[in-house]
Amino acid sequence: MEGKITELKNIARQLRINTFKAITNAGGGHYGGSLSTIEIIAVLYFGIMKIDPKKPDDYGRDRFVLSKGHAGPVLYTALAMRGFFPLSDLKDLDKPLSNFPKHIDRLKLRGIDVSTGALGQGLSVACGMAISLKQQKKANFVYIVLGDGELDSGQVWEAAMTASKYSLDNLIAIVDRNMLQIDGLTEDIMPIEPLKDKWTAAGWNVSEADGHDVSSLYGSITGAQKSKGKPNVIIAKTIKGCGISFMEGKWQWHSGSIDEDQYKACLQELGDGAGI
Amino acid sequence: MKTELKPCAVTYGATLTELGKANPDIFVLEADLMKASGTRPFMEAFPDRHINVGVAEQNLVGVAAGLAAMGRIPFACTMANFLSQRACDQVTISVALNKFNVKLVGCYSGLSQEKNGATHISIMDVVIMRCLPNMKVIIPSDHRELADVLTFASKDIGPLYLRMPRVLPENLFDNSYRFSFDKGYQIGTGSDLTIISNGISSSVTVQALDGLKKEGINARLIHLPVVKPVDAGLILKAAAETGAIITIEDHSVYGGLGGLISEMVSESCGAIVTRIGLNDVFGLTANLDFQLNYFGISVENIVKTAKDLLRKKKNKYYQ
Repeated sequence: MEGKITELKNIARQLRINTFKAITNAGGGHYGGSLSTIEIIAVLYFGIMKIDPKKPDDYGRDRFVLSKGHAGPVLYTALAMRGFFPLSDLKDLDKPLSNFPKHIDRLKLRGIDVSTGALGQGLSVACGMAISLKQQKKANFVYIVLGDGELDSGQVWEAAMTASKYSLDNLIAIVDRNMLQIDGLTEDIMPIEPLKDKWTAAGWNVSEADGHDVSSLYGSITGAQKSKGKPNVIIAKTIKGCGISFMEGKWQWHSGSIDEDQYKACLQELGDGAGI
Repeated sequence: MKTELKPCAVTYGATLTELGKANPDIFVLEADLMKASGTRPFMEAFPDRHINVGVAEQNLVGVAAGLAAMGRIPFACTMANFLSQRACDQVTISVALNKFNVKLVGCYSGLSQEKNGATHISIMDVVIMRCLPNMKVIIPSDHRELADVLTFASKDIGPLYLRMPRVLPENLFDNSYRFSFDKGYQIGTGSDLTIISNGISSSVTVQALDGLKKEGINARLIHLPVVKPVDAGLILKAAAETGAIITIEDHSVYGGLGGLISEMVSESCGAIVTRIGLNDVFGLTANLDFQLNYFGISVENIVKTAKDLLRKKKNKYYQ
């Protein structure tokens, strides 16, 4: 177990570096909300999900919905590191007509289960997937990562009630609770606290995790897998822009671009070159 | 309207129940309007494939998308106005952009909402759905055609919008006619003008040919259930041969059937087109007959419009 956690830590570190490079190579982008989801995606794609890069369309795989579709670069990078396609393909991020648009597109890239980008829609789709798996008595799970900003959207709560009604214990949602949205602090723009109580009231099992501690995330997700009868949500406490000190906790870095000198300094801060 | 009309809910519910027996992947989704759609028999037969999300149309569409992502065949039904307007972004992103195999059914479409009035009468569902890449749009005119369209939809792969009024006649056309996805249905070969309709309006237009004949006008009728992808050959041939077209729909004249035909004709042979429908107005609180007459979906108005149109055609369109 300890070895697995160490491995996930190293993978997360490399995922952060590679994601950062991909976004920067694209001329900038959604640094903030991508860097906050690094450990979550690392744990899911390298520690939890049943997927096979050699059989990306295998019906028996687990499903993943990145409801905050603007964190696409993290998912692209994780898929590349997982062997779905070469890491060098990430140079095409945001390029016209490439298979790596800013918001993920399932028709362009195998390994993406759902195209997203319009916030608030993912949980409904995840519910449909989980209903299908349950109706067929399949043991797979549906995982979804939601941004905290998108929890303003009413559709999320329509879906939350649906998951509860149909007892979707094969659905595990992870909220990237970085406390920021485009215009500022979530609690200033549209307060969503008490968040734990809201999910509980909607009929979900709720747990909390340190969203940058792979051990905490791994424990929460495997715990959720075992809980029966209700859908599960993990509120992962994260830092927007995590890993780049001048971006951390700054809503201004929801998206943006950096210059060459900043890029070099950032890579040094991220420990690039130290290897996995 | 002289034709006897029957609730579409009967055919929708019964046909899906039959299709559901043969195909275990068919799901039915509701947003608290099972009474309108008529899928209670499906729910009783297949409770684990019948999902009701309550009054939450955006979620309805999203859940359907998720089922389709798993290779299932969801039929998601709610009133046409809510499906196309309230859930427009979910239809656009979760269904059309993803190219998921979701069957969207807009029930109680158009004027068939009757006294529910402006809040419920869908006047832009056709134009919204028609604009969406990957979306097919079908508007049947009788129960036999509705059943055929549902069967077609269950086998076809990809997003599809079915506009379903509250009521339709049992059997509007000759027994020889059967729904074809690729072809519109032409009645008569008149060369003075072409009338194009679908949905509930075809119940009126089939009666108009005789009325026109009495006035010495030799028209042809095209019943066009599939507006996307459209049978362009049939339309453009009619445009070229008659030079004058009347479109009729219980929908806004902007962008629906009238808009479609105008676009096609203006890019080809340049026939003159008159669009009958709701012209920049909302629907009314009134029964169906009153509304159809009020908005000109009547034999009398078709005859009057035809005379005006032929005069314009004769005068080279200037008067």
